Amino acid sequence: MRSVPWLLVLCLVTSGEDPPNGPEPVDPAFHALVGGDVFVRPGEVRRGWTVLIRDGKIAAVSPNPVPAGARIWDCKGCTIHAAFLDAYAPVQTDATLDAQGLRKLGFGAAVHAPAKGNWRGAARLVSLADKPAEYKKDVYYACGFDRKKRGKDGFPTSEMGAIAVLRQGLYDKKTKLPLAFDTENELQALRSARIATAFERTALLLGSGLEFRRLHAIAATGLPVVLPLRFPPAPDVASVSTRESVDLRELMTWEQAPTTARRLDDAGVTVALTAAKLDRKNFARNLGEAIRHGLKKDRALAMLTTHPAKLLGIDKELGTLDPGKRANIAVRSSPSLFAPDTPFRAVWIDGKRYELQAPKPKLDGEWDLGARGKLVWKKGKVTRDGKAAREHTVRGQHVHMVFQGPLVLSGIVAGDTIEGHGIEADGRRFSWRATRKAIGETAEPKTKPKTSKTKADPVPETFGYPFGPYARAALPKMRHVRFVGATVWTSGPAGIVTDGEVEIRDGKIVYVGPRRKGQLGAATIDVSGRHITPGIVDCHSHTGISGGVNDSGQAVTAEVRIGDVTNPDSISWYRQLAAGVTTVNNLHGSANPIGGQNQVNKIRWGVRDPNGMHFLAAPPGIKFALGENVKQSNWGDEYKTRYPQTRMGVEALIRDRFHAAQAYARRNDVDKVDLELEALAEILAGERLIHCHSYRQDEILMLCRVARDFGFRIGTFQHVLEGYKVADAIKDAAIGGSAFSDWWAYKVEVQDAIPYNGALMRAVGVLVSFNSDSDELARRLNLEAAKAVKYGGVPRAEAFKFVTINPAIQLGVGDRIGSLENGKDADLAIWSGDPLSVYTHCVATWIDGREYWSENTDGEARKTIAAERRRLIAKVLRSPRAKQDRKKQTDGDVPTRIWWMEKFRAARCGVCGGAR
Amino acid sequence: MRLAVCFLLAVSGALAQDLTPKAPPQRRTVGIVNATIHPVSGPTIKQGYVVFTKGRITAVGAGPLKAGDGIEIIDGRGKHVYPGFIAPYTQLGLREIGAVRATRDMNEVGAMTPEAYAAVAVNPDSTLLPVTRSNGVLVFGVFPRGGLIPGRASVMRTDGWTWEDMAVRRDAGLVVAWPGNKKAKDTHTLAHAFAEAAAYLRKRKSDPKLRVDVRKEAFEPSLARKRPVFFLADTYDQITGALAFARRNRLRAVIVGGRDAPLCADLLKRTNTPILIRSIHRFPKRADADFDETYRLPAKLEAAGLTWCLASGERIPNERNLPYAAGRACAYGLDRDAAIRAITLSAAKVLGVDKDLGSIEKGKAATLFICNGDPLEIPTKVEAAWIDGRRINLSNKQKVLFEKYKAKYGLK
Repeated sequence: MRSVPWLLVLCLVTSGEDPPNGPEPVDPAFHALVGGDVFVRPGEVRRGWTVLIRDGKIAAVSPNPVPAGARIWDCKGCTIHAAFLDAYAPVQTDATLDAQGLRKLGFGAAVHAPAKGNWRGAARLVSLADKPAEYKKDVYYACGFDRKKRGKDGFPTSEMGAIAVLRQGLYDKKTKLPLAFDTENELQALRSARIATAFERTALLLGSGLEFRRLHAIAATGLPVVLPLRFPPAPDVASVSTRESVDLRELMTWEQAPTTARRLDDAGVTVALTAAKLDRKNFARNLGEAIRHGLKKDRALAMLTTHPAKLLGIDKELGTLDPGKRANIAVRSSPSLFAPDTPFRAVWIDGKRYELQAPKPKLDGEWDLGARGKLVWKKGKVTRDGKAAREHTVRGQHVHMVFQGPLVLSGIVAGDTIEGHGIEADGRRFSWRATRKAIGETAEPKTKPKTSKTKADPVPETFGYPFGPYARAALPKMRHVRFVGATVWTSGPAGIVTDGEVEIRDGKIVYVGPRRKGQLGAATIDVSGRHITPGIVDCHSHTGISGGVNDSGQAVTAEVRIGDVTNPDSISWYRQLAAGVTTVNNLHGSANPIGGQNQVNKIRWGVRDPNGMHFLAAPPGIKFALGENVKQSNWGDEYKTRYPQTRMGVEALIRDRFHAAQAYARRNDVDKVDLELEALAEILAGERLIHCHSYRQDEILMLCRVARDFGFRIGTFQHVLEGYKVADAIKDAAIGGSAFSDWWAYKVEVQDAIPYNGALMRAVGVLVSFNSDSDELARRLNLEAAKAVKYGGVPRAEAFKFVTINPAIQLGVGDRIGSLENGKDADLAIWSGDPLSVYTHCVATWIDGREYWSENTDGEARKTIAAERRRLIAKVLRSPRAKQDRKKQTDGDVPTRIWWMEKFRAARCGVCGGAR
Repeated sequence: MRLAVCFLLAVSGALAQDLTPKAPPQRRTVGIVNATIHPVSGPTIKQGYVVFTKGRITAVGAGPLKAGDGIEIIDGRGKHVYPGFIAPYTQLGLREIGAVRATRDMNEVGAMTPEAYAAVAVNPDSTLLPVTRSNGVLVFGVFPRGGLIPGRASVMRTDGWTWEDMAVRRDAGLVVAWPGNKKAKDTHTLAHAFAEAAAYLRKRKSDPKLRVDVRKEAFEPSLARKRPVFFLADTYDQITGALAFARRNRLRAVIVGGRDAPLCADLLKRTNTPILIRSIHRFPKRADADFDETYRLPAKLEAAGLTWCLASGERIPNERNLPYAAGRACAYGLDRDAAIRAITLSAAKVLGVDKDLGSIEKGKAATLFICNGDPLEIPTKVEAAWIDGRRINLSNKQKVLFEKYKAKYGLK
């Protein structure tokens, strides 16, 4: 129903010519473009042929004489090809398409696409004429990952929230059109592809320009990419301090961005280039850069004409200069395709000509003024007998000059002569005439301008994963190894074994115990003096989560999934590996009583597919939260209206949602899917573990009672700083409690937090772990365990379980990881000494029987990084493009939106600004 | 009886409260004997003694102590004696609970508030103090925060009936947050403020009737070089900028932060500028930087021969973890003696209180503690502590709650 008025509007726009105000003009609509180099299609050029246009269509491209009656357009020295087609021209609500701006770049048609929101709307292909014609409606449905800035603006405020909105929309059968995902980076491209695959939908990617970072994975999706020609500005390396702060990844991105189009093309991806998402002034320059970086001109032409035409299903009408097609043609006043310095002279749209650049008089050369000397025009400057003009202007064919004297000369250019009048200093008028010396007579021979080299310096063609520092070309090999001689902390029944041995094979542990005698064939590594422990398990982490840790837009966000936004590029992963951490529980933040679904990851640094980090054996979980954060106590005075604002309301809301989930599970219409209730129903069915942020004893006990009433077992209480006050209740209701070792006093609800909490809960029988909730603290979890020894006297081996087997059991993977026992995953850390000692550091970290980190490999990587930094910084300092960028950037304190950098900053609980 | 105390504490412990009496002045001479003494200023004494009277150390030595009459002898067999740890940079006492505005007293309104000095707002009954001192952190530098000149730092004891009792030095120096390299205007503002203050002070010298300007008055000790200026500066531009400013205005600079100090170690050395490392438990400045860049900062400064000390980098309530930051630096290249020095004698030097504090030497304040092992190791326990010879109560709210809930579960 809603679309009907729209259609009416469209009809008016497209067919409704205004009645002429005066006599009706008659357009003969018959034109001949004569003498240019005609690119009929990419790769097929007809030099000096004629393009005939009749009634808005291409009538012929031929070498034949021009038929009578056609208006002749002299195109000598020009290139002629199909006008470009922009497959993505985002338009904000209420705004109109900037047809003129796009025409200037050589475009003749564009997809008018809504630009805001998650489900943005259907896009239509229109001509870029002043009165646009609709070529095709409903070419695709535009989708995006937009998020609200603040919680009070509504849902979603996170990327995972946006993904949930898209998935729910697909369940709700929002559209049947192909989906076009507007992506901000390469990871979103892969996330888009996953959504499309899950729902078996055709899709295309409105790209980011960063696809080269995960090229192969993106190529493997098979989705076409509408690629913006945008390149990040050069990093500032022009001072001692800015050079210190520039990141290698930023440098590499700067260097590689111009290769994206070529790389995608080589990888077999269908690419269409778009002028969206960039400063249009840079379009021609950047296209030139892409060509300098190896993109073939024919391919570039295809990406601007035939590819988008095919992609949009309009290739019968647009894209080439074949007879019968629409006369959408671009004419450039240069004999070379894509000469970045020469603008387009005209664009034809449906046979109507739009002049873009009136031909300028060519003034360069030597002009003989007779008795008044000699004029020399060079690069837009004019001299008379060697003296520069004080001022001069060129307006159309008129030129005006003022020379010393003052002597004023005005004239009109006609080919190789200028004629006009002048005024002497004493006011005498005179007439003058200048003739240009024929080329060849001029003193200087014409040389090619040196400004742009036709080929860029070679750039590295492979860079491994993740893109940036510490990348690896392939995952480390799975090895068969015997570690002998170390003190082995098994975190299992065997306790601590001195002079022990651990053997791993095929990613599993095959022997743990005292050192055996004899050679077993496997490579033996002598680790005498070292300590081996299970890899550390962090039960509460926000590492490597793209686009927001919280979705604070609503009180219940059970439909969002941390696993949707895994960012394997975060350098925090690498740093945690360097601290013996192998598995982390990635949790949603604590902004809502019922938060999002968690993701347990193994730190497989260097995976190709971002989701390769997911630990598939882990049962699904979900974040709940209680207390100050969810009742928005510390959010500021604007946040006082969202339910709940009290701990009473928290309980009521949670119970209400579980009742809703019960009703949902009983529903008749099983085709109707509600992602939020789906997750809650899984909790009730015992298929999803709750990990609940909690502090005070009252709220902890409350959730224990809710769980009892609804008949499920809680996974863990997180933080659980007053857990020691109700340890007996926790023991019965939950798998365990995962606490901070010694944090307290940062909020009112943690005044009674005590470092003896872990020891007390353990003494009562609760399974206890210590976690980090911080990318920094995660780097010393072994020492957090030592605090259980200090406060409450937990035996050393038991204390170490707080960061190994106990969190593993809490996450439902105690049978796979967390202890060194036969048959378990070969996830282990090797330490320089006692892992509970401050003097100890991690020496190596293994996951799945692969050495993911070691002091040695780290040392090698440092050398590589230093060399790459040097090379790239030198390159930036040499680069003319970088120099231009630097000039533009000197606005001092004005922050620019850094779209090309994934944030490396530590992920933090956004609700409380770090105070959990 | 014990239980009664517990309940009393628990019931009234809603906000900042330290409900135990403060330590009374030292009455009897104390001799700790048979212990391993770590004077810091000199070599470790394996089997030695420390004697202190009326709050001052009167003897330190090796071997047995000839006990005089009236001396309280404490057998330190198997134990270690260290000078009290000094947390050189914290807001302890100025902020009780971060999330509660009413408990925050560290950031005065205005970009430049040198008149604000920390000591006067330190709450002696803060619940955080007993927890802090129970791990051997007996002295702390307390710094106002916010703006270009947040105020003046103070040096405090972790025990005392009033802030006056606690204060070792009320005005330890001006704090200046050196602007980042993009804020040239702020640099200019600072230069102007110092020049104005100097002009005011000159005028006042010649005209004592001039009305007192409390703000400009506050520059006096630093402009007269009686006190240092603590420049908060991390980046290369900040450090070099602050040093140049100090030279121009003839100030004694201390660099607080010092992340990029290794990049200009030569300059710091030449100007004899001490560095207060605010934290090693932070992220390296770049993603491609060495993962242990911040952990190795102390070792780098030590190798460069600079004077430096170390702050915990913890949140205010966890200042007790100061020794573990020092220990962590040892895992990444720092000599252990240097690590101890960084949180004792060097910290005292940087704060300007080394005449009295920071080492176990004859004549210095008897501010020291006994522990059962290496205090940089987490499981080690502090068993007794003295501030100016006053025996400190090492109990705290957390220990009381521990006992209370052991009782709930019938645990021993």
